[in-house]
Amino acid sequence: MSWPYDSMQLKVMDDNMLKVAVGEQGPQEEAGRLAKQEDILFKDVLSLQLDFQNILHIDNLWQFENLQKLQLNNNIIERIEGLENLTHLVWLDLSFNNIEAIEGLDTLVNLEDLSLSNNRISKIDSLDALVKLQVLSLGNNQIGNIMNVIYLRQFTCLQTLSLAGNPIAEAEDYKMFIYAYLPDLVYLDFRHIDEQAREVAKIKHQYNIDELKHREAQMQAQLEDEQGQREKLAEHKLAFIEHLDGSFLFESLYAEDMEGNKLSYLPGVGEFLEAYKDKFVIICLNIFEYGLKQQEKRKIELDTFNECMQEAILENQEQGKLKVAKFEERHLQCLNAIREETELSNIEKKLIECSDDINELFNMLMMLEMQLVEQLEETINMFERNITDLVGLFVENVQSLMAQCRDLENHHHEKVLETAINYLEKILKGEMDKDLPDDVRALFVDKDTIVNAVGASHDIHLLKIDNREDELVTGINSWCTHLVDKIHKDEIMRNRKRVKEITQYIGHMQSELDNLECGDIID
Amino acid sequence: MEVLREKVEEEEAAEREEAAEQAEHAEKMERMVRLAEVSKEERILTQDELRDLEKKMMAVEIPIPAERPIINKAIIDVSKLPPSYTTNSPKEEHLLQVADNFSRQYSHLCPDRVPLFLYPLNECEVPKFVSTTLRPTLMPYPELYNWDSCAQFVSDFLTMVPLLDPLKPPLYLYSSTTVLKRQKGNCFDFSTLLCSMLIGSGYDAYCVNGYGSLDLCLMDLTREVCPLTVKAKEVVKKKEKVSPKKYAVKPPRDLTSRFEQEQEDKRQQEIQALEKKRLREEEEHLLEAEKSKPDPLHGLRVHSWVLVLAGKREVPECFFIDPLTARSYSTKDDHFLGIESLWNHRNYWVNMQDCWNCCKDLVFDLGDPVRWEYMLLGSDKPYLSLTEDYDEGMDNDDDVEYLGKEDEDKSFDMPPSWVAQIEITPEEFETRCPNGKKVIQYKRAQVEKWAPYLNNNGLVCRLTTYEDLQCTKGLEIKEWYQNREDMLELRHINRTTGLHVDYFKPGHPQALQVHSYKSMLPEMDRVMEFYEMAREDGLIKREETPMTMTEYYGGRSDFLSYRHINFGPRIKKLTQNSAESNPRPMVKITERFSRNPEKPADEDVAERVFLITEERIQLRYHCRDDYITASKREFLRRTEVDSKGNKINMTPDMCISFEVEPMEHTKKLLYQYKTMIHLKNEEKLSRHQAWESELEVLEILKLREEEEAAHTLTISIYDTKRNEKSKEYREAMERVLHEEHLQQVETQLDYLAPFLAQLSPGEKLTRWQAVRLKDECLSDFKQRLIDKANLIQARFEKETQELQKKQQWYQENQVTLSPEDEDLYLSYCSQAMFRIRILEQRLNRHKEMAPLKYLALEEKLYKDPRLVEFLKVFV
Repeated sequence: MSWPYDSMQLKVMDDNMLKVAVGEQGPQEEAGRLAKQEDILFKDVLSLQLDFQNILHIDNLWQFENLQKLQLNNNIIERIEGLENLTHLVWLDLSFNNIEAIEGLDTLVNLEDLSLSNNRISKIDSLDALVKLQVLSLGNNQIGNIMNVIYLRQFTCLQTLSLAGNPIAEAEDYKMFIYAYLPDLVYLDFRHIDEQAREVAKIKHQYNIDELKHREAQMQAQLEDEQGQREKLAEHKLAFIEHLDGSFLFESLYAEDMEGNKLSYLPGVGEFLEAYKDKFVIICLNIFEYGLKQQEKRKIELDTFNECMQEAILENQEQGKLKVAKFEERHLQCLNAIREETELSNIEKKLIECSDDINELFNMLMMLEMQLVEQLEETINMFERNITDLVGLFVENVQSLMAQCRDLENHHHEKVLETAINYLEKILKGEMDKDLPDDVRALFVDKDTIVNAVGASHDIHLLKIDNREDELVTGINSWCTHLVDKIHKDEIMRNRKRVKEITQYIGHMQSELDNLECGDIID
Repeated sequence: MEVLREKVEEEEAAEREEAAEQAEHAEKMERMVRLAEVSKEERILTQDELRDLEKKMMAVEIPIPAERPIINKAIIDVSKLPPSYTTNSPKEEHLLQVADNFSRQYSHLCPDRVPLFLYPLNECEVPKFVSTTLRPTLMPYPELYNWDSCAQFVSDFLTMVPLLDPLKPPLYLYSSTTVLKRQKGNCFDFSTLLCSMLIGSGYDAYCVNGYGSLDLCLMDLTREVCPLTVKAKEVVKKKEKVSPKKYAVKPPRDLTSRFEQEQEDKRQQEIQALEKKRLREEEEHLLEAEKSKPDPLHGLRVHSWVLVLAGKREVPECFFIDPLTARSYSTKDDHFLGIESLWNHRNYWVNMQDCWNCCKDLVFDLGDPVRWEYMLLGSDKPYLSLTEDYDEGMDNDDDVEYLGKEDEDKSFDMPPSWVAQIEITPEEFETRCPNGKKVIQYKRAQVEKWAPYLNNNGLVCRLTTYEDLQCTKGLEIKEWYQNREDMLELRHINRTTGLHVDYFKPGHPQALQVHSYKSMLPEMDRVMEFYEMAREDGLIKREETPMTMTEYYGGRSDFLSYRHINFGPRIKKLTQNSAESNPRPMVKITERFSRNPEKPADEDVAERVFLITEERIQLRYHCRDDYITASKREFLRRTEVDSKGNKINMTPDMCISFEVEPMEHTKKLLYQYKTMIHLKNEEKLSRHQAWESELEVLEILKLREEEEAAHTLTISIYDTKRNEKSKEYREAMERVLHEEHLQQVETQLDYLAPFLAQLSPGEKLTRWQAVRLKDECLSDFKQRLIDKANLIQARFEKETQELQKKQQWYQENQVTLSPEDEDLYLSYCSQAMFRIRILEQRLNRHKEMAPLKYLALEEKLYKDPRLVEFLKVFV
């Protein structure tokens, strides 16, 4: 493998080379002639063979979008590169090259068979994207760490693995280790794995494997947990009530509120705060639950709407299909009659009949479509009204709940203010000023300062509440408008598509008839 | 009579002019008379009426029963019956006295009612109480556990003999065992047997003595619709009305005129009304024709049937079973005109309710003493025993009371049945009908039944339906088969159209399910349906007409669901190679495929048509989900090489296509070329498959013919009687067993027995005795051997002497002998010589064998377990 390649002529993968290869490997004989006549597009090629070409760099392959099988073995490739666009690749052969590291395979999610034997690879990694991998051959490389095999445990489809010719394969325990750590493997180094040997290996490495499994299970559980939480949050976000199922909002009120935090050191304020928090959280929970309910309602509404739309469209389609089928039957008879007819006047009469038929079909289909459009429009308008009402109701109710929050805040503010002033008076009188931190004490200089501080805290709180409210209202309103827009747009698209389809079909029919006419006249 | 007739004639002459008037009058009177008879009312009849009655009575023919019971006497061998048949036990005597007393009281109290049917004579001329004639028996056949199958069995098994006197209950009531032996009986025998079986299997059943209609009494079903012809009523499923959804689209506005619609409806309704009227009239007409002639003895004909009361065996409602026809009727049926009495194995009840309205108003609460007069006090209420059972379990503290009641019961207990165990052998059970065959006439239908294996083609039932009431014009025939090897189950022949439909059970070698045809010749109209799960190709149905063949498939991996082949007229072959088949040329093959969800709709062919003669291939693809038109493609297929041998190149005009969504790659010639090549191969395959289908049809027809000709029946391996193999095997086993048994007997022959018998029993053997025993035995054996030798010797000498005598006689009379005598002499000589030689051989052999036998016995004696202890010393 390590021939001096400066003595050989290096080849560059350019368009020419690829064209030649495609031409050679494409269809033969009559098909080949046709292919040549029409030029083969690279994106239609499914399989490409480029072995023994002295290629150093993989290049110019980006056009082969649909390539499924690629052979690049027996070249002098040093890096895996330029394969990013070949996402449909199932079979990749890079054996007998000078590759040192596995890389550049992250987009090949459909890859099932990967051959990297006879290279200079020393570590198995960067294969995470290859979830469908079934066959992996890494024979005659320089993999030295047996623990590296554990990396392969994540490929559940992996059935065949070859690692012979690597330093690790010389280890005494090599086979047993792999049997034990890759229990789903069927073939190792092109030999079928004996059930008995597998059992023995399992017992031998039981302890380690159990530990490994335990760790994997933990990881898995953690992942699932996170996933679940994320899903839940996404669900809440859909209902626009994320983070309202607890004290998150309340805590955020005090997150940036220095004064408020300071004030809570005042005697008595702590209790107010507790009561305030409880009440606040209850309201938040109310909003949360109400939001979930409303979301459910909206969902049901949307589902029924979609279902009904679908039903109406399907029914209309059925009618259309029926009409087309009937027409085709009649049309075929007509055409046959015309073909058999000899008298010119009769032919003409029949041709006219036929084209009348076509016109009639066109009218009928169009009428059906118009009818459907009318029906759907009415339904969509109704839905739009209903959903807007629903959203309006939701917003209104949320706003009233938010108002309650504000009331609470105001109430709390008054209490705090009162306490603070009382306290200030007490301080001014020189009573009980021992146990306050310095920064808190700094507030109690005069009345203005303390009132300002309390006011600032109050403002921050109100702002936060307003922000949250705004967020919710804008969120749901924009959702609503988007939804309605989308429905309208979809409907327009659908209508256009259908009209296009009908005109296309009618056009085809008409041109077919015209062709027949021409043919007849020529005959 | 003579005088009477004269009188009548005179009067008739005098009243001839009034005849017309009279006739009308007579009819009216007749009805009145009948009514009078039924209600048993005393009426003073006018002179005219009396005369009419006389005339009427003259006209009445009393049907003469086909068989007289006297004839039957000879058949029943009274002497072989058990003693309970010929005598009455003291308890039975007591019961008869009670019954007699009851009867007398009854006739005293109700003088206008007919005497009770209480203790008819049995086959041995002994009076037996009817309840004791019932013998509750549970049959060992699971098929006879339910009332319907029981009744069917009784009705099938026995042949009905009409009552001797249709107006009176019979004098004789035979035991069920005798009835079963004779396989015939009257309605009372039927109901007794059925009631015994029903009570045995747990029903609350009663024998009824009452009055039935003519049809019922004579088992005349010609006015009944055959149950086999009644089609199961289709249950009309009520469609659940789906409430319109919130966003359901409004239907397009209806622009048709409502007025016109109404007018149209009106017209339709009128037409329908007319049609209905016509139909009704027709029906009435038919009904009139079918209506029975009025029966002069209506309401007087005695009949017996079975009543099943609700309660036991989950019977929800009381009902009647007519044992002659095995039909069940509601208790309000018109056929049952009245009940005199009823009984089960425990008690006897007399109906005290008025039967003016048939049985419609009867209440079957036997515990009600006003409605039902019971005979025995003990078990007056059939429900009572049931509640008692409950009491037993529920409250045990009532023991004293309960015991008292029981005592009271005992004194009036019905004696056990005198009838021997009712037994039905498996053969009888299987054969069912007498001689295994039964014919029943229904209205416009005839049912014939056979026992399985009776007909060698497996026919078990045939239903012939007719167009007219006289049963002359056959409409259709249905034949049911059983145990056929070709799994034929039912054959339906329509006489008018000539259509045969064969139904098969799963298991036919070609997985045939239904085969309907008019003739067995190939290439005719026929439909074959298959069990598609049993076939590799998933064929469901194949329809054929002379010029087409249509196949329906299901569950195939290539999604083929339909193939239609049009054939052209056969090309006449010039060379008459009859050995080679000349298949019809295929003109067109149409194949349809169901949607393959893995392919996009534009590439999934829905229908392809090979126009073989026109060399065209038409493809129609599946419709996309949200489209109404489908892609189409048509190939003008041409052979690859034209007549001059030049290769024909693919040109764009060879493929015409319409695409819903034009795609780039399909426009290419290369794609079209590939598709065409592929289709060409497919066409070849399809033709081949069509050809194979034709072959298969021929094969099936051939197979069917063979099966029809052979009609072999399958025999279950558990049916040891019919299964030849298992029979042979069993017999062989028995033979082996028998031989083994014989051998054992032989080996166990005790040579010491006669000597041991000389000793007094129980005495212990002493050594001396043992030795003596042995010696005696040996000497005896020796003696026998010598005797045998002597015997042989004696015979030998006798033969030789006779021969010598004969020879002497021959030499003396040689001259005078006729050639015949000489022949006789010679044959005698040769025979005698043969006998002498044999005797000589036997003697020699005996001489050789005797010492050996003697030694063998001696050794045996030494080893005999009884003597071995005492003889050991001497060995």
